[in-house]
Amino acid sequence: MNRLLVTLLLTSAAVASAQACRARASWPTESWPQALVTATDKTKGLEDFAFTLVGKPEERLGYRTEGLVVVKNGAIVYEKYARGFDATKPHLSWSVAKSVSSTLLGVAVQEGLASLDDSLCKHLPEYANDPVVCAITTRQLVSFGSGLQWQEEYEDKGYQVSSVIAMLFGVGHKDQVKHVLTHRKLREPGTQFVYSTGDAHVVGTVAKRALTAKFGPDAFWTKLFEPIGMKSAVFEEDASGNVLGGSFVYATPRDYAKLGYLMLNEGCWNDQRILPVGWVQQATSVSAVFKSNRGDCSGQKLPATEFQLPCEDTPNGFMWWLNKPPADGKEKPWKDAPDDTYAALGHWGQRIIVIPSEDLVIVRTGDDRDGSIPVNELVKNVLPLVKP
Amino acid sequence: MNARALFLFGALALAGCAQDDAKLRTYANNDLELSVGNAAKMSCTCLFVMQMDEAYCKDWVRASPNVARFFVDKEKKVVTSSAFISWTAKAHYVDDKRGCVLE
Repeated sequence: MNRLLVTLLLTSAAVASAQACRARASWPTESWPQALVTATDKTKGLEDFAFTLVGKPEERLGYRTEGLVVVKNGAIVYEKYARGFDATKPHLSWSVAKSVSSTLLGVAVQEGLASLDDSLCKHLPEYANDPVVCAITTRQLVSFGSGLQWQEEYEDKGYQVSSVIAMLFGVGHKDQVKHVLTHRKLREPGTQFVYSTGDAHVVGTVAKRALTAKFGPDAFWTKLFEPIGMKSAVFEEDASGNVLGGSFVYATPRDYAKLGYLMLNEGCWNDQRILPVGWVQQATSVSAVFKSNRGDCSGQKLPATEFQLPCEDTPNGFMWWLNKPPADGKEKPWKDAPDDTYAALGHWGQRIIVIPSEDLVIVRTGDDRDGSIPVNELVKNVLPLVKP
Repeated sequence: MNARALFLFGALALAGCAQDDAKLRTYANNDLELSVGNAAKMSCTCLFVMQMDEAYCKDWVRASPNVARFFVDKEKKVVTSSAFISWTAKAHYVDDKRGCVLE
């Protein structure tokens, strides 16, 4: 009997410990504490790298950083803006929005309003008669594993073959979730990684449907953005009210850093659990979908008129990119960054980089039209700034 | 004979699948339509969400082909774009949480 009691006590202590939030001296809900590194020998290398001014502005050359914020041990240690931006101006996230949508799905799970095993049709009942859509679970969707054919092309290949451009600005723009879900099934759900802004739009909309049913139309703000102090957060929708969860979130760099800080603190904020226990661990582990099939890595190039799945070399969890080897015998993508580094990455160089082992969050916004700023080089140039 | 026909049918179906699998999908948009949609939406968010000035936004939304022109109604927070008269698009600012929407 005594043994049973001890076992019960130990079990509940273990559960309580697993659920406990990390203690911090302060939380930046209102504003970030500052401990700025001012020594030019420490900042010069980073600034020479990140704030390159090459050619004329209209030529769009170099790494055109517009905001850079570095948070170490819960305080801003570096902050700089350029090209007309300042600490108050929200910046477009592009695909960083995908990680925001994933996090909002986590909030819905924490609130008991969604589960990773839910069929999409539970949250999108208008597709209840569509067996292709109903066969997809939220876990598969948030792992880029819907199995739908998607051509994630941007400016390079011709606008007419881009599923994204057609969705955002063309034939699909009025009901973007419908545009996504009427694409044909390419593979069984959960068996093929296909990086897709479409999947992320649907994740955002599932999170919206789940949360707003209970908490009203501003649920994203009342359940995530406001509790962590992301006062500048804007999340756009299409004309049908679908959340544009793959592309269109805006916030200031300081506020993006708060999202990184929430992840760094394993989904807790000021002793309040925002994300479920273990969510961050799952979201930043290589997904089963990615492990299953990361694209056509044969090296064989098909003619431009044919559909070819890109080979993805950076592993992904729940719409967070990971510094892990993509396959046995391969190297991790960011060789100078610690193994536990993970990131939200967006077009033209938007980045939220989290390094738990360094207690570090790096946010970089920019407008790189000449090749996006590499994560590895950015981390490599930030690390000397925060080392004693 | 029947078995042979069935085999032939199956083989053709498989070949059809394989071919279909490799087909690149195209969307019924022309460049002008996409260009005005991009200009209206992105100018709206650049001006009213990101709070940048018109000079910055004009350069930021510049895309190829660079044919779309946009017109801003600052009072109503509406951006209309057009190219060669017949192609137009409109985006409007909703509020400080939901930014702009392409109509």
